[in-house]
Amino acid sequence: MAFGPVFRYFAPFPRLTYAMTDPVSAKPDDNALVRVRGLTTVLNGKKVFDALDMDIPRGKITAIMGPSGTGKTTLLKHITGQMRGNAGEVWVDGNNVPALSREKLFELRERIGYLFQNSALLTDYDVFENVAFPLRQHTDLPEVLIRNIVLTKLQAVGLRGAASLMPSELSGGMARRVALARAIVFDPMLILYDEPFVGLDPIALNQVLKLIRTLNQTLGITSVLVAHELEAIKQVADHIYLIANGKVVAQGDPRTIADDGSPWTRQFFGGEADGPVPFQYPAGDYAASLGFPGSGA
Amino acid sequence: MSQRPSYAVGTGLFIVLGFAALGYLATQTTSVANRSSGPSYTVEAHFANIGQLKERAPVKVAGVRIGQVQSIVLDPGKETADVKLAIDQRYSQIPDDSVATIFTSGLLGDQYVGIQYGTSKNAVAAGGTLALTRPAQQLEEMLGKFFGAGGAADNLAGSYRVKARFTNVGALSVGAPVKMAGVAIGSVQSVKADPVKLDAEVTLAIDKKYNQIPDDSAGAVFTSGLIGTQYVAIQPGGSPDMLKDGDELVLTQSAMQIEDLIGKFLVSGSSSSSSTGNKDAGDKAGDKH
Amino acid sequence: MSASMSRDNVVLRSLEQIGNCGLFLLRMLAAVPRSLRHLRETVRQLWFVGAMSLIIVMVCGLFVGMVLGLQLYDVLSIFGGTSATGTVVAIAIYRELGPVVTALLFAGRAGTSVTAEIGLMRATDQIAAMEMMAVDPIAYVAVPRFIAGIIAMPLLCCVFCAMGIFGGHLVGVTWLGIDNGTFWSNMTATVEVVKDVINGVLWKSIVFGTVVSLIAVFQGYTTPPTSEGVAYATTRTVVASSIAILALDFVLTAFLM
Repeated sequence: MAFGPVFRYFAPFPRLTYAMTDPVSAKPDDNALVRVRGLTTVLNGKKVFDALDMDIPRGKITAIMGPSGTGKTTLLKHITGQMRGNAGEVWVDGNNVPALSREKLFELRERIGYLFQNSALLTDYDVFENVAFPLRQHTDLPEVLIRNIVLTKLQAVGLRGAASLMPSELSGGMARRVALARAIVFDPMLILYDEPFVGLDPIALNQVLKLIRTLNQTLGITSVLVAHELEAIKQVADHIYLIANGKVVAQGDPRTIADDGSPWTRQFFGGEADGPVPFQYPAGDYAASLGFPGSGA
Repeated sequence: MSQRPSYAVGTGLFIVLGFAALGYLATQTTSVANRSSGPSYTVEAHFANIGQLKERAPVKVAGVRIGQVQSIVLDPGKETADVKLAIDQRYSQIPDDSVATIFTSGLLGDQYVGIQYGTSKNAVAAGGTLALTRPAQQLEEMLGKFFGAGGAADNLAGSYRVKARFTNVGALSVGAPVKMAGVAIGSVQSVKADPVKLDAEVTLAIDKKYNQIPDDSAGAVFTSGLIGTQYVAIQPGGSPDMLKDGDELVLTQSAMQIEDLIGKFLVSGSSSSSSTGNKDAGDKAGDKH
Repeated sequence: MSASMSRDNVVLRSLEQIGNCGLFLLRMLAAVPRSLRHLRETVRQLWFVGAMSLIIVMVCGLFVGMVLGLQLYDVLSIFGGTSATGTVVAIAIYRELGPVVTALLFAGRAGTSVTAEIGLMRATDQIAAMEMMAVDPIAYVAVPRFIAGIIAMPLLCCVFCAMGIFGGHLVGVTWLGIDNGTFWSNMTATVEVVKDVINGVLWKSIVFGTVVSLIAVFQGYTTPPTSEGVAYATTRTVVASSIAILALDFVLTAFLM
């Protein structure tokens, strides 16, 4: 992996120094980069989070799992400040995200990479410009330097040869790798992966998996994964949170989390159709809605 | 990224094209185009009534624009308007007995100053005055011309009758106005075909106020610009003897075809009725007499 | 868009839309200083919104001028006033047809594409991605398109008018035989810079450009990020723009006269 030279390029630019984790700003008493405390969020009358607590350790890969619709993506949006909860705190590297001003939030976001489920490449630009986009927006680096940085990142994801392709010419796996290159172009302290494996064939899935692991190991980037693919997660994650009904219902090491014996883990990791997550969406009396006489409707 | 320069160039071209179009609109199709850049010389003319004449209205000779109205002020202490005409240097040789008239261009009532050259050898000096002017005609008067002003004319002081023969009267009908210098002086009393001479004999009833019309005056059937109705125009001659009741106009000009009229309008608007006529009326009327 | 409270009340819903549109305009105006660093993006949008609309505007301008020439010649020949054809063509185009038709074309050509583009950018998370890359999407996506529209409209309108005059000249002078000098001299005698070109062409087209761009950007930005939402938003852009153009045309004419 050719990340070493990139740091050298960045070194002379003081505004980029905060991209490296600053030990002073972190809370001295714990190693968590992201700390969620008592987060409560109500969306369209439905309680998505109910006093949720969560710690995401620095330099580790943390997976967030849970049944569909439990707000895993919503949680990522809380971490990046795209959404704000009704109550509670979300601390990211010593900043309480809901309380940040727009400028501070944007400064924080420059240090967070976010991989969207559908890659979200800018369709107007080719691959090179997509990866160069954050650099062009936030720095006035000379063109040569931008070119070097972008090509380094593209090389890291194995797509240097595709630099001149348009996003519409890419396969799903390639698009996700380009998006990953874009997410790491500023060498962030934290990368949030929103369903990075969805719709990928086994080869592409393993490529992405390998990238996630490499980025974490070589650069020490804290990673948060939202995914359903248990097998894939077991290979990379250091820690798994299982959330359901707006709370963390289980957490632990990927090898042992399924053994805690709670009905949630049994249903989720065992893949049972019915359980704490009911098969039936809550509904009124069945006989009554079919209109049977004498049902008391 | 290789596309960036082409966007910029294309956008630049677009902006330049847009401003070029704006410049074209503003300078070539508007009155700005009429501000003569060259040196001009100024002539004054005094009018009893300028009607709707505005500053920057064109000044024309024979329908050709030679300058524009520079300023319009009321002559101090007099009931006349002092109109300054800025005339292009090229056309500085205006005879000093030329007539300045305020015309209404045919259709839309926009007014301009028309100069009909006189015969004098002396040109008006810069800053000089054109002594001979004809004021603007009021709209009411103009409408009166078109809509049967003749009927009103004969009831005032009685009328006398004059005959005229035309080879073609066009759509001239009984009651149509008879005009001199554009002003209604009477009306057509009858239009009859002469069974012997095979032409049209038209009887004109002319108001007795206008009994000073020379007997060599010409009569012509014209079409009034606006609504296309026809009237008889009398163009005064130079004879010392005046027309009397029962006389006949010896010089006549028959109605023209609509195509000719359109041709005329394209050149100079409604003013054409008063300026031509006399000279070419003779050849048609001569043999009839 | 919180359509929950007034789904069935058309008046309330339109008021809500207008209010949201106004707030969106304020957000864009607040973002203008930030968007100054995206000048290159504005130029790029000027290309898409303006230069790409040039062909359709030129062709339509030509035909509008030609049909005006034809109709006016026909009507004016009744009164023997065909020499005024140039004047009436110019005045009709400058004061009304130029700005209004250009704005309608602009709404149909550029407005819809802006709405659809922004709507799709939302649907594919590109807007969210910009947010995440600490790029203000209002400043980067909305404002450049808005400004490009305001700049492009008057330019397009001038081109439209020039083509219209050319079309009128083509029919009137070249085909129907009005005298060339008369055509121009009558036009130049009557058409005035301030009243016709500045008040008619420029002011109206700037206002129309602002309104159409605002509606297009707003509809694209606030539409639900689904293919259905984008389709509705595109339709609404055309409908709302057309109504706004024609209504504002009356108001502006009353004010500028």
